[in-house]
Formats: sequence, structure tokens, C-alpha cells
Amino acid sequence: MATPINILEETGWIDFNRQQKQSGAQLLALTAFRDRQIRSHWLEPDGRVVSATFLCRGEHFPSLSPHLPEVAWDEREIHDLFGYIPVNHPDLRPLIRTPRWPRHFHPLVADLARTPVWEDAEPDNPAREVEGEGVTIMKVGPTHAGIIESGHFVFSIMGENVLHMDLHLFQNHRGVEAALQGLDLSLVPPLVSRICGADTVSHQANWAMAAEQLAGHQPSETLVRQRVLLLESERVLSHLNDLAQIPAGVGFQVANQRALAMKETWQRGLFSLFGHRLLFDTITPGWTATAQMADLITLIDDVNQTWRGWRTFVEGHHGFQDRMRDTGTVKRGDADRLGAQGVAGRASGLAFDARSLSPWYHDLAVHTSTDAHGDVAARFRVRLDEVEESWRLLRKLATKLSQESAQDVEWQPPQDLCGETVAFTESPHGLNVHVVALENGKVTRYHIRPATFRNWPVLALAVSGTAVGDFPLINKSFELCYSCNDR
Amino acid sequence: MKRAQKSLQFRHLDAGSCNGCEQELNALTSRFYDIQQQGIDIVASPRHADSLVVTGPVTDTMLRPLGKVWEAVPGPKLLIALGDCAAGCGVFQAAYASHGGVAGSLKEPDVVIRGCPPTPQDILDQLLRITAAKDPGPKV
Repeated sequence: MATPINILEETGWIDFNRQQKQSGAQLLALTAFRDRQIRSHWLEPDGRVVSATFLCRGEHFPSLSPHLPEVAWDEREIHDLFGYIPVNHPDLRPLIRTPRWPRHFHPLVADLARTPVWEDAEPDNPAREVEGEGVTIMKVGPTHAGIIESGHFVFSIMGENVLHMDLHLFQNHRGVEAALQGLDLSLVPPLVSRICGADTVSHQANWAMAAEQLAGHQPSETLVRQRVLLLESERVLSHLNDLAQIPAGVGFQVANQRALAMKETWQRGLFSLFGHRLLFDTITPGWTATAQMADLITLIDDVNQTWRGWRTFVEGHHGFQDRMRDTGTVKRGDADRLGAQGVAGRASGLAFDARSLSPWYHDLAVHTSTDAHGDVAARFRVRLDEVEESWRLLRKLATKLSQESAQDVEWQPPQDLCGETVAFTESPHGLNVHVVALENGKVTRYHIRPATFRNWPVLALAVSGTAVGDFPLINKSFELCYSCNDR
Repeated sequence: MKRAQKSLQFRHLDAGSCNGCEQELNALTSRFYDIQQQGIDIVASPRHADSLVVTGPVTDTMLRPLGKVWEAVPGPKLLIALGDCAAGCGVFQAAYASHGGVAGSLKEPDVVIRGCPPTPQDILDQLLRITAAKDPGPKV
């Protein structure tokens, strides 16, 4: 899918990537490999994928972060996992690595047949804090008072104003990319399905797409529709969850409970349709779970009945709207600079939605909802629109699929599959990218670049300058998964 | 309405879960399951808890926090492993930063709720078996 490998020199590398960003292309991923190659993949506005490669000199490569702040974390991650050094990186603190990691342990180049011997130390990394009279440091996490994933935040506050929030995530780092490395391709699907409970379909679809691209296998139109149907069902599920959580962030329990009830109804429907409440294990290369289309329509009708009243209720609630408006604002320029993805980008006026460039959606004419305000209210409203748009797409797909009976001829990727490719889908949280390299039917590199990885730094920016009491609300308006990000 | 004879107040700790178990735990608070009515509740502090629900394969970075939170729960207390990862049989057991679930990292859990993830009904049924039991669990 991507154009052939094009190895660049130092200035060429920086110029190429900078020009791609300036020309409006989307960064898909910045990926390091064991053979010291650093590769960037870009999605151009016409849907073409282009890539370029820099070959490390020794352990070093020129940092792109001074020119492209959105890759600051990517380069820190490469530094931790491979030991390659981005020269001139503005902030090369450990991102994933903790003081417990053995010295010189770089998991993606290490021999993992031997279990690492962890240091007897606390896992905390140094935090960047604001110093000065009247500044208080407030640490939150890694464990939390509610049922959420683990993450550590260090707030520098003055009174109740947040001056800076330092993110210390990756508590949930299991080592998924390394666990995938060396696996036989038939063993990949259950792991990929469990990278993240909220974006599972998107991850599964990426793996299927990657394996099929490498094998030169074109899935049938019917199979593609069934996958899009699952992707959109997942979007509804995730958005219903987020739309329930945002009112909970301001103690608006009625709206929270009614949305949770819609989510539960939707999940029960998905269970009876596809056999799993979160849609785990529904897509593999060559295969997709199917369902009775009439039942799906009934499910949409059922949830939609509650939805209409609920939407009118929350949109007409003055207090709730007032609380969301002008809270946690992300300006368009910042969203663009940091590469904000999905709802977080669209609610700040960026029009990008990977569905509009995906061949899987070519005959669906997805309507992209945007909002220029960039605040919590905008992120809430964009999700409202996207749920309705997903239902429209689902009805359209269900109608088409109910007229198609042809089951796909069973296809399995060849056991000696080789090559490297990049696959992407628009997950509920935004652009989700996998860079996959296979050799003789085994994974040699599996890089997962989920949307949340780009959006966490955007959240940190949105929180700066607001009242610390608004953090739960702003946080929930992004509702970023940790597991996708931490892997 | 009959008052619940025994209650369960648990604190949740994510030690590397995919967020699937969390979503299903959260569903317990919806009106479909309404755990409070059954005498079960989720508490904000380990100091207020009589049990700890752990999810995830226990990542290296969460190993120490897990020990500290467990220590902070006053006894008698129950250790509950929720989901296949915490139960030590999830798909990420072999990952380099995973410590083999609750049993591999802290101690043998008192209760194991299997599933990937377990459904809210499964979780509720298992929790109700604890509250229905005559013995409130091992003394610590």
C-alpha cells in the first residue's frame, strides 16, 4: 500500500516530514525497526500513503519534535523501547521506561527469551513541576477512586488554577508490541482484539486489512460491509459510554444513568447479534462475524426511542450546557500542531476523519461533523451527531446486506506471508494505525499507533489554565483509553 | 424490601486491563443491575473497603501500587481477581511487563471471576455468592 522505501539523509528527513505536515497530510505513524530504520508513514489528502526512512547513524537519528511537536512522544517511546537517540529532542525524559527497568533494557531489541530482572525501586519518573511561591503540587493516581484505568497525573496548581499538568501514563504497559513479535500469524487475532476494550473492532480490522494487503487478497464487498457495520456499532457503543460519562463529570446523574441504560441496551443487542458485548473476536483476516440484519434495525429503533428524548433533555439543560461551554478549550491551531485525532480534532474545527479516505467507506458518503469551539460542549455535540450518523450508516449497510446472501469463500492468509504494510481505520477515538512486518508467516514488527496516543498531550494542554475542579469534566470529554496508549 | 444481611464494599484497581473489565464493572451501577440495592458498593478509598477487585495481568509499573493498595485495605478482607488477565490466564501473560495476574504477583486470590471480560451478570452472580456465604472470608 505504501510507496517503496525511500531512505533520506538528515536534512532530507526533516524536510520531507515537515513538508508532508504543511501540505495537509496526516501522520499515520513514526515507527522504529530492529535494523535501526526509522520510518514515517503519511496519509496524503487524496488518500495516498507515502513513507520515508532514516537509517540511524550508530544509535542516533535527528529529532523531528522541534519541527513537529506531535511526534515528541513517538520519539521518546522509540528511545525507551529501542534505545535509539533522537538528537535535539526538547524533552527526552523516559516515557514508558521506569527506574525499575534493568539498565540498557530496550524491550524491542532485547532478547526476550530471558525475563527482565526488575530493579528494586519505585516506578515513578521525575515530574516536570512549576516552582514558585504559592504553587502547590497535586498528585493524582496511579490508582483512582472510581472504576477507571490507572494513570498518574502531576498537577502544578496556584489556588485552584492549573498551571501545568504532567502526564505520567504507561502504568498499563504490558508489552503488547513485543508480545506480538515472533508470533505465528494465526495467533495474532486474540491479542490484537484485546489491545483495548473500547477500540477492539478497529484494532481487529487493522490486522485483517494488513494481512489481506500483504497477501494481495481483496475481501468481497459483502465482507467489507460487515466490517464497516461492526466498526460503526463499536462507535455507537463507545460514544454512548462517553456521552454517559460527561454528565457524570458534573454530577448530572439523571443524564448519566439514562445514557448508561442506552449503552447497556446496545451492548445486550450486540451480544445477541455478534456473541460478544464488546465485540471481541469478531474480525480476522478473511472472516467477519455476521448477524441478522432485521434484529440490528430493531435494536437501533429501540435505543433511538430513548435517545431522542435524552438528546432533547441534555441539549435543553441550561445548567449542563453552561458548565460545558468554554471549558477545556483547545484552539484549532493547537489541535493541528499536536495532531489531535477523532472527536478531539473535529470538535476543534479539524475536518479530518479517516473514514472519508478509507476505501471501505467509498460508497457510504460519511458526513463529517465538526465544531469550531473546541470546548467540552463541542466534543459532546460532535459525539451526539456521530452517533446519529453511525445509525444512518448502519441502516444503509443493513439494507444492502439483507439483499446480499453470498457468503465469502473461506480465505486464510498463506502460512509463509511476508512483507511490510500499514493499515488504518477511524476508531471511536480517531485515527488508529498499525504498521506490520511479517517474515515467513511470523511477526517481526507490530507497531500500534492509536489515536489516544496523540490526544493525551492535547488533553494536558486543554487542562492548563482551567480550574482544577474542571479536570474530571474535561478528562471525560476526551475519554481517552489508557490501554491503547500504554500497550 | 428485605434488607441485605451482608454487604460488600469493594475498591477497584486496574493493573493493566484493556478497559473491558472496567466497562463491565461500571455497568453494574446502571439500573439493570443496581448493585447498591444488593448491598454491594464501590468505594473510593481502600480504607473504606472490605475487598479489592483487581483487573489486568499486573504490569510491572502497577506491581508496587497493587501491594500498597492491598495493604491499605483493613482486614478481614477479600482479594478478588476479575477477568482472565487477573486470573492469570489472559492473552498477555507472556508479555515482558506482565507479572502473571494476581496470584503471580501478590498472593492467591480468594475469589476468581473468569471471563474476557466476564459479563456484568457473571460478576454480580459471583459477588452475590460472596455476600450470601455464611463465612465472610478469611481473617487477615
